[in-house]
Amino acid sequence: MLEKLTQIILRYVEVKEEDIKPESRFMEDLGFTSYDFMSMLGEVEDELEVEVNQEEAANIRTVQEAVDYLEKIS
Amino acid sequence: MNIISSTIRDLLMVAEKEYNTQDAFRFKIKQAGADGKAETVIESKSYTQLKNDSECFSKALASLGEQEKHIAIIGNTSYTWVAAYFGIVNCGSVAVPLDAQLSAEELCELLNRADVTTLVYDESKANVADMASSKCPQIKHFIALSKNSTMSNTLYFEELIKQQEPGFECEIEPEQLATIMFTSGTTGKSKGVMLTHRNIAENATCLDMKFEPKTVLLTVLPIHHAYCLSMDILKALYTGAIICINDSLMRVAQNIKLFKPNMILMVPLMIESMAKKLEDAAALPPQIVKENIFGSQFQTICSGGAYLNPAYIDLFKKYDINILQGYGMTECSPVISINLLWENKVGSVGKLMPNCEAKTVDEELWIKGSSVMQGYYKMPQETADTLEDGWLKTGDLGYVDEDGFIFLTGRKKNLIITPNGENVSPEEIENKIGDNRLVQEILVRDSEGVIEAEIYPDYEYVEKKGITDILAELQKIVDEYNSNAPLYKRVFKLKLREVEFEKNTTKKIKRF
Repeated sequence: MLEKLTQIILRYVEVKEEDIKPESRFMEDLGFTSYDFMSMLGEVEDELEVEVNQEEAANIRTVQEAVDYLEKIS
Repeated sequence: MNIISSTIRDLLMVAEKEYNTQDAFRFKIKQAGADGKAETVIESKSYTQLKNDSECFSKALASLGEQEKHIAIIGNTSYTWVAAYFGIVNCGSVAVPLDAQLSAEELCELLNRADVTTLVYDESKANVADMASSKCPQIKHFIALSKNSTMSNTLYFEELIKQQEPGFECEIEPEQLATIMFTSGTTGKSKGVMLTHRNIAENATCLDMKFEPKTVLLTVLPIHHAYCLSMDILKALYTGAIICINDSLMRVAQNIKLFKPNMILMVPLMIESMAKKLEDAAALPPQIVKENIFGSQFQTICSGGAYLNPAYIDLFKKYDINILQGYGMTECSPVISINLLWENKVGSVGKLMPNCEAKTVDEELWIKGSSVMQGYYKMPQETADTLEDGWLKTGDLGYVDEDGFIFLTGRKKNLIITPNGENVSPEEIENKIGDNRLVQEILVRDSEGVIEAEIYPDYEYVEKKGITDILAELQKIVDEYNSNAPLYKRVFKLKLREVEFEKNTTKKIKRF
C-alpha cells in the first residue's frame, strides 16, 4: 500500500521518492495544499477502488496514517 | 435575461417561468442496480420542481409557526439544501447558512447567537443536531434533509414537503432581512452579516454576464459562502443554467468528466492546482490537454475569494479557457467587481458592479450600493466601525480608475485570506493556542499561502518543567489545536522565537 500511495503522491508534489517516509506529514513535510490532498484522495479512490470518507480523511496527517486508513477500508 | 429582481422570491419566479421543465440541478445518487450492487446514477430536478418543493417547504414552515423566524441550514451542497433555502427566505424567514466544517460546539454557539428557532441539517451534521437539542434551548424544530437521523424528535424534509401542495403566497419586501452569513472578524469573534432580499437578489441579477441558458455549471465551493450561494446558485438559476453538484472536493476531476461542465467557479487554490496539471502535460498539444482534463466543452472559470496571480489568466488562455477574475466580500452580498470577456483590464479585479459606487478614503476602498449589508447581527459597535453613511469600509487598500475598474494594493484589516478564499482571524487561533501555559506570546500570520504560528515560549516554565525539546512540545500543542480545527484554520508552520515580540504603545504585539 505504501508503495502504491508513494507513486500517487509523486504526481502531486515535487519531492524525491526517498523523501516520502511513513512519518512524513502531507502538508508540513511534503508541501501538499489542502486541495491537492483532497484531489489525491479522489485518485486513490479510483486506483484502489475504495470509497474514502471525506470527514475521516480530513484527520489524516501522515503517510502512515493514510496507509492505515486505506488498508482499513480496502 | 436582463431584468433586475429585487427579491429572492421574484428571482425564482422569473427563472421558473422562463425555464420551467429544463433541468435546474443534476446530482449523483446511489441506488441498487440490477445485480443488487450499489451503483451511481445522475438524478435531475427541473426549475418547476425546485419552485414547487421550495413552496411546499415554505408551507410546512408556516404550519410549524416558523414564518419570520431565524432558520439555520448546515450541510454540504445538495438539491434539498437549495430547496430548503428558497423555502425559508420565501416565507419571510431568515436563513442562516452555517459552515459544515466547524465543530459542533462552535456551531451551537452560532445557533444561539443568531437566535435560531429551527435547525435544518444533513446527515453529516446529525451530531450538531444532537448537541443543539441540549445546548440551544430556543430551537423548537429539527429538520433532517435526508431520512436517516437517529434523533427521536426530528422532522424530515421529504415528508414535510410531501404533506403540502405547491403554491405559497407571501408578500416579500425587498428591504426584508433574508440571510445572516457568518464571516471571520478581526477580533477573533465571527460576525453575522445581515443581508436583505434586495442585497442578495440585486447582486445576483444586476449584471448581465451574457451566459447562455443551459450553460452547464459544476458547483464545487462550499454553499454557506456568499460567493457560491450568489453566483453558483442564484445567478446561475437566473440565467437558466444547469447546476451540477460536485459531491466532494476529492472528486472534482471525476465529476468534470461525468457532468462535462462549461463553467466552474473556483478559488485561486484550485486554479493553481489545475494549472500544475496543465503544465505537467505541456508537451502535448493544448487541445488534447484540455480534452483530458476539462473536456473540449469547457470554457470559463470565474475566480474569486482571494488574490489570483494574473499569470494564470494567460496560462489558461493557451487552452482556450477564460478566467474571469472578480472581487467581493460577504458584506457586499458578495460581488463588488468582475472582469468580463468584453470589458477587462490586466491587474484589475474587475469593473465595479452597476449597482455599486466606490471611493477611496485614506487609501481604503469604500463601497456604496444596493448590495451593501445592513450591519452585523447584534454587533452595533462592529457595524458602526464598518458602515459610515451607507458606505462599506472594505478593509482593502485600493482605488477605482476613471473607467470604473478596481485595483487593489493591499489590506488594512488584520485578516488572513487563504488561497481557497476563507477568511481566518489570526487572533482566534492565537487565543486558542495561547491558552497553553507553555505559550507566553504567539503571532499567527500567512506564510506563502499557509498559516504560520510563531511562538515565544515561557522559558521559566520550560526550566521548571525540565522541558528539553521545546519545539516538539510546542508542536504537540499545535497538533492538539489542529485536531479540532477545520482544515482551512489549521497551522502548518511553526517557528520558535527566542526573544519577546516587539510591542506597540498599548503593549500589543506589532504585527507588521
